[in-house]
Amino acid sequence: MADGTSSPSTSPTATDMSAEDAALQDALAAVHAAIWGYGVVGAALPPESRDAVVACELAYLDLRDQLVALLSARQVEPVADEPGHTLPFPVLSPVDAAALAVVLEEGASATWTWVLDQASERSTRVLAVAALSAAELRAVDWRALAGRTPPTSAFPGLPQA
Amino acid sequence: MSGPLPAPPAAGTFSRRSLLLATLAGTALVSTGCTGSSGDVTDAVTPAQVDRLAVQVRVQEEVVAGYDQALSSAPDLVTALTPLAAQALAQLDRLRAAAPGDTGTTAAATSGTAAPTDPAEARVWLRGVVAASAAAHAEACPEFTGGRAALLGSIAAGLRGQDGLLA
Repeated sequence: MADGTSSPSTSPTATDMSAEDAALQDALAAVHAAIWGYGVVGAALPPESRDAVVACELAYLDLRDQLVALLSARQVEPVADEPGHTLPFPVLSPVDAAALAVVLEEGASATWTWVLDQASERSTRVLAVAALSAAELRAVDWRALAGRTPPTSAFPGLPQA
Repeated sequence: MSGPLPAPPAAGTFSRRSLLLATLAGTALVSTGCTGSSGDVTDAVTPAQVDRLAVQVRVQEEVVAGYDQALSSAPDLVTALTPLAAQALAQLDRLRAAAPGDTGTTAAATSGTAAPTDPAEARVWLRGVVAASAAAHAEACPEFTGGRAALLGSIAAGLRGQDGLLA
């Protein structure tokens, strides 16, 4: 789906679009994982913290819908959610839950920076930078709750230098 | 339970190729007239993009200068702000490395008012500087492709996180 606003001097080739679509599929897989993971996060947090979890879940549900629509419009079959996921560590306390939320958000951020790297369409990069910023904003809150110092990251989504 | 959580499958490829290109492009593209003679159009920059990158370097210099001003005006904030200031400086270094021809010699200064001496007011003032810079980088990001788009997007997100923390 060319939007006519890709690279300044070139039109996206089929290879460009294929790379972009593959990166979007990675992002969608991370979104599926986040939706699942926030169910675990919410179950381990006290009731008064659940509103924050619901807000995160809703943000990812909205992203999922956007990505599915975008890929479908390109005649690309969106990746389905895995039937189950493996937790990276046991989630037994609110701090564990916050740490899991950090993992979810940082995993999503990594896929969005990859989308930025691979996208030939300007509109896709607009979507990606907005999603990346939103993920980091959520990650800051969860890192703080998990006791991380500082709770911010200089380069969200990029590998450590 | 079957799938690993989470799975950012492309991150390794990303670090190996695009980031290196973004970092090295600063010197490589200057000598080729910024037309991407490496054959990788994804990481080529146009003259207009070179100018835009220079603007983003100036934007980031204002963030670094903002932290310096806030720290000198309101020393009570040193514990809270020092790690964030270090992150802003790291962002500036990486942005300069990705900006073709940037010499990194321009003196940093904030273009607006001076930081207030009251810690709470200084924090609000600094938040304004950081938020404006985050928005500027986010707006510039889609105008680039490849590693530079990723770098600008990441820095925009990092500053957005700082903005949230300063709130």
